[in-house]
Amino acid sequence: MAKPAARIAVIQAAFALGIAAVVLQSADLQVVHGARWAAEARTQRTAHDTLPARRGALYDRNGVPLAITQEFYHVGVAPNEVADPAGTLRLLSRQLGVPLAPLQRDFRTRRYLYFHGPFTATQLEPIRSLKGIHLTGAYQRAYPARDLAAAVVGRLDPGTGTGSSGIARALDSVLTGQPGEAVFLKDRSGRKYESPSRLVREPVAGGDVWLTIDAGLQEIAERGLDDALHALGAEGGDVVFLDPMSGEVLAIASRQHAEGGGGSAGPSFFTTPYQPGSTAKLFTAAALLVHHKVDSTSAVSGHDGLYRMPVRGGRFFVIEDSHKEPGMVTLAQAIEVSSNIAMAQFAQRLTPVEQFETLRGFGFGSPTGIEFPAESRGVLQMPDRWLPDYSRASVAMGYEFSVTPIQLAAAYGAIANDGVLVTPTLVRQIRDASGHLVYQHQPEPVRRAIPPDVAARLRAFLRGAVGKGGTGGQAQLANYELAGKTGTARRFVNGRYASGEYTASFAAIFPADHPQLVVIVKIDKPSIGSYYAASTAAPTTRAMLEQALAARQVAIDRSQLAAPLDSAPVKVADSAEPAPAPPPVVFPWPDAGRDPARADPLPVPDIRGVAVRQAVLTLHRRGFKVSLHGFGTVVRTDPAGGESAAPGTAISVWTD
Amino acid sequence: MRGDALARPVRHPGDLRWETRLLAVVTATLVAFGIAATYSAASLITRNGQASGVNFAINQTIGALLGGVGLIVASRIDYYRWRQFAWPLLGITVACLTVPLLPFAHRISPLVHGARRWIDIGPINFQPSEIARVTLVIWCAMLATKKGEQLRELRKGLLPFLLGMFTVFVLIAAEPNLSMAVLVALLAATVLFTAGAKIGHFMLLGLLAVLVVWHKITHTGFRSERLGVFLNGGSTSDAAWQINQSLIGFGSGRLIGVGFGHGQQKMYLPFAYSDFLFSTIGEEWGFVGVCLVVLLFALFIWLGFRIAKTAADPFGQYLAVGLTCAVGLTAFMHMAVTIKLMPTTGLTLPFMSYGRSSLVISMIGTGILINIGRLRGKPRSAEERRASGAMPRASGAERRVSERDRRSGRGERRGTELPGDFGE
Repeated sequence: MAKPAARIAVIQAAFALGIAAVVLQSADLQVVHGARWAAEARTQRTAHDTLPARRGALYDRNGVPLAITQEFYHVGVAPNEVADPAGTLRLLSRQLGVPLAPLQRDFRTRRYLYFHGPFTATQLEPIRSLKGIHLTGAYQRAYPARDLAAAVVGRLDPGTGTGSSGIARALDSVLTGQPGEAVFLKDRSGRKYESPSRLVREPVAGGDVWLTIDAGLQEIAERGLDDALHALGAEGGDVVFLDPMSGEVLAIASRQHAEGGGGSAGPSFFTTPYQPGSTAKLFTAAALLVHHKVDSTSAVSGHDGLYRMPVRGGRFFVIEDSHKEPGMVTLAQAIEVSSNIAMAQFAQRLTPVEQFETLRGFGFGSPTGIEFPAESRGVLQMPDRWLPDYSRASVAMGYEFSVTPIQLAAAYGAIANDGVLVTPTLVRQIRDASGHLVYQHQPEPVRRAIPPDVAARLRAFLRGAVGKGGTGGQAQLANYELAGKTGTARRFVNGRYASGEYTASFAAIFPADHPQLVVIVKIDKPSIGSYYAASTAAPTTRAMLEQALAARQVAIDRSQLAAPLDSAPVKVADSAEPAPAPPPVVFPWPDAGRDPARADPLPVPDIRGVAVRQAVLTLHRRGFKVSLHGFGTVVRTDPAGGESAAPGTAISVWTD
Repeated sequence: MRGDALARPVRHPGDLRWETRLLAVVTATLVAFGIAATYSAASLITRNGQASGVNFAINQTIGALLGGVGLIVASRIDYYRWRQFAWPLLGITVACLTVPLLPFAHRISPLVHGARRWIDIGPINFQPSEIARVTLVIWCAMLATKKGEQLRELRKGLLPFLLGMFTVFVLIAAEPNLSMAVLVALLAATVLFTAGAKIGHFMLLGLLAVLVVWHKITHTGFRSERLGVFLNGGSTSDAAWQINQSLIGFGSGRLIGVGFGHGQQKMYLPFAYSDFLFSTIGEEWGFVGVCLVVLLFALFIWLGFRIAKTAADPFGQYLAVGLTCAVGLTAFMHMAVTIKLMPTTGLTLPFMSYGRSSLVISMIGTGILINIGRLRGKPRSAEERRASGAMPRASGAERRVSERDRRSGRGERRGTELPGDFGE
């Protein structure tokens, strides 16, 4: 028989083995592989949460809110945590506006009660500190001015909360802000345990944007357009009010398919080019003046309203004028009475390249660079693709190329601005969440389109066009002088000119001396009464301007209207500045006397890795020319990014 | 019978030896550590919106106080009395174990976590299987002493044991609580092994047991899952998840632990305060704390076996082995489970895990063990021994025990006190 002591020793040995195994395994788990388990524990227990950043607000130039973000709350109630059910329920019922009886029933039967709301902070103030009440914050975008300037302001994608149109999209990165980050402890069922010390990064609210839009003028533009479309039975239309000196868009409105009821307010002023017709005659006139192809005495025959322009092959290009001009017509008269025949003949004095370059100089055929997604560049064919006999005449009459209303406004702005084209803008000022000025718009001259004396002569032509005998007489105001040009163009629909369909437009510079506003009014397919711009777009413009002058808070400097002073342009409507801004930076502008070739060198931007399209745009906007070698992504430039070059230097761009 | 042992004014030289004192200290340390560990492990459990870690600690402290009283009382009762009451104790245990199986007894034995392991009568709330852990050991020690040499025979010696063991095993396994049933069977087997049952019989029974247990495991979903997890690992099932959570917590304690109360694994680990307490200790106290706990249990086992080896008589010896193993084996299995040396079972860590039945019973067992140690070398009258029917023969083993003690310089007094007729 085995002896008990020996057997006890066996059991003891077994225990010793077991203990050794436990210690060894523990050492392996904790000491050898401890770091790995600890890492796994951390991964499992921590949940990273994104804390939404408050989206920046959009204001008009005077601080009228157009789009703001408000904080709302959803309310959850955990019955088992509530300390004083009767009092809590009474408060809940009162503050959330839910009947008490079902609330009490749910309180007894459910494990968790949820009220989506959304509720405001004021509503929840009495209950927010109670035990068992859980608030979930949520941001909601609100548009206090409703649909005012909706196409410019833009809207958010309901799914992602990012801007899907307009400025909301173009400046999304500015408005969005920096979402914060927090680490939570997460338990088995995924519940999170908050701890303030675990905040990794505070959310940084988005910047607030002050648009150049003037809410009052915008209201006038939108209502004026609606009224006009209704009165004229038109299909749609656009209105642009632009400050020619600064390039700031003061009001911009679009309506399409108004007759269908309601009517959409898309951004057709940026996206939909049209053939401008007579409003563009001025640009061929500019080319003639720039290239000294006419002087004040040059004249062509009026051909009594019907001109058969000989073209190759013994055929004719038939051009008609609605106003028969019996005798000879000078360029000034051709603009004044809007003579197609005269313009077609004058255009023969230009080469296609001369004509093209002037138009291009006014910005046609290229995007204006306004802060708006999906801006159309319009259509302006390269001169080598022009039809040999027809195109010069057609372009002179405002056909065969198309422009967007904003392009036309910018081009008229150049005329108003002594020949310098300025990039139109919608953004006046950006401030970060703490109120610091991040961006202040300063006029961005693109180029000198025409010499100042040519601009002055063109303005004189425009003055004539709204004077006695001019086509735009109906736009003339009682007290202030206006300069402007009408245009009635046949509509180009589905590849051909639709018969009986017209686009009536009116481009105005107000006032004629020391212009403060460029107004473009375009009316598509007016169907009631005359379709001529002279009796549609021109009176509409006048009505809007009269309202603007009658309104108290519109960005028109009346002191400059009555007694034109020979002084530098004054920034308008700065008195109503909303935020405590530092004094606006006075930019040395206009700087007409500067010769680009001898200007100070500018730093060349580093555009490596950027798509060619964007790269070229960037270089152009910095004042450089581009010599392109290939397409795709930019890999190298000469001069390289960071070096300096005189404005106007051609930068060679190589791509991959 | 020596019922007047308590009343004796003169302290016997064998009273309060350093082993028994140290045993008491080790036990008290484990219990105190256990209350703290339970408090921390249960700190994130909420009931009715209140954190109930404190309640756990308070309950456990009440258990510790009850157990302390039990320990003191048991250490003062002559362990010989347990032998006389071995049969009634087994009877009561079997009766208690039967209650949860009765279909009409749901009111006093509710279903908790899919099993009926508790009896709940008003203020008294206990697990009968915990009681079985001690009473079966007492019964086995008693019977082994009585059988003596007969133990080597299958029919006359072993079969009565098997009948008793099997009854208790089946009743516990039916709760269901297979791990406790296996543990109880192992404890009984340890007692039998110590008492000198044939190794061949063990192998036969072991084979049989393996077959039975395998059958039970493969026919119970959660067990086969746990076993599968243990054997294959990497499963995404609940059981795999549970053991993996235990390892994550344990391992992330690293060398010195994340600190008392700082462990976060209790958010994930179910029963962090009972079945997986060792994992929580490993997380909060690190390898150092783990070693400390292991050392305390090792000390307990060592002291228990020392007491067993020097027990006054075979019954005391067997009982001491059984009681030591009741603590040591449970502790080992609990630790082995939490660190994935064994498939997942529902065994708690003696003295430390939350559970008052376990705590009180373990402490009473420790009290008995102390009593065995205290009464070492006390002569018993031949009459007493005859009455018990256990007259161990003069085994060489016993003589060796005393010889070794003598060699170590401690057994001299004891050797002289050893009655000459003890090894006849």
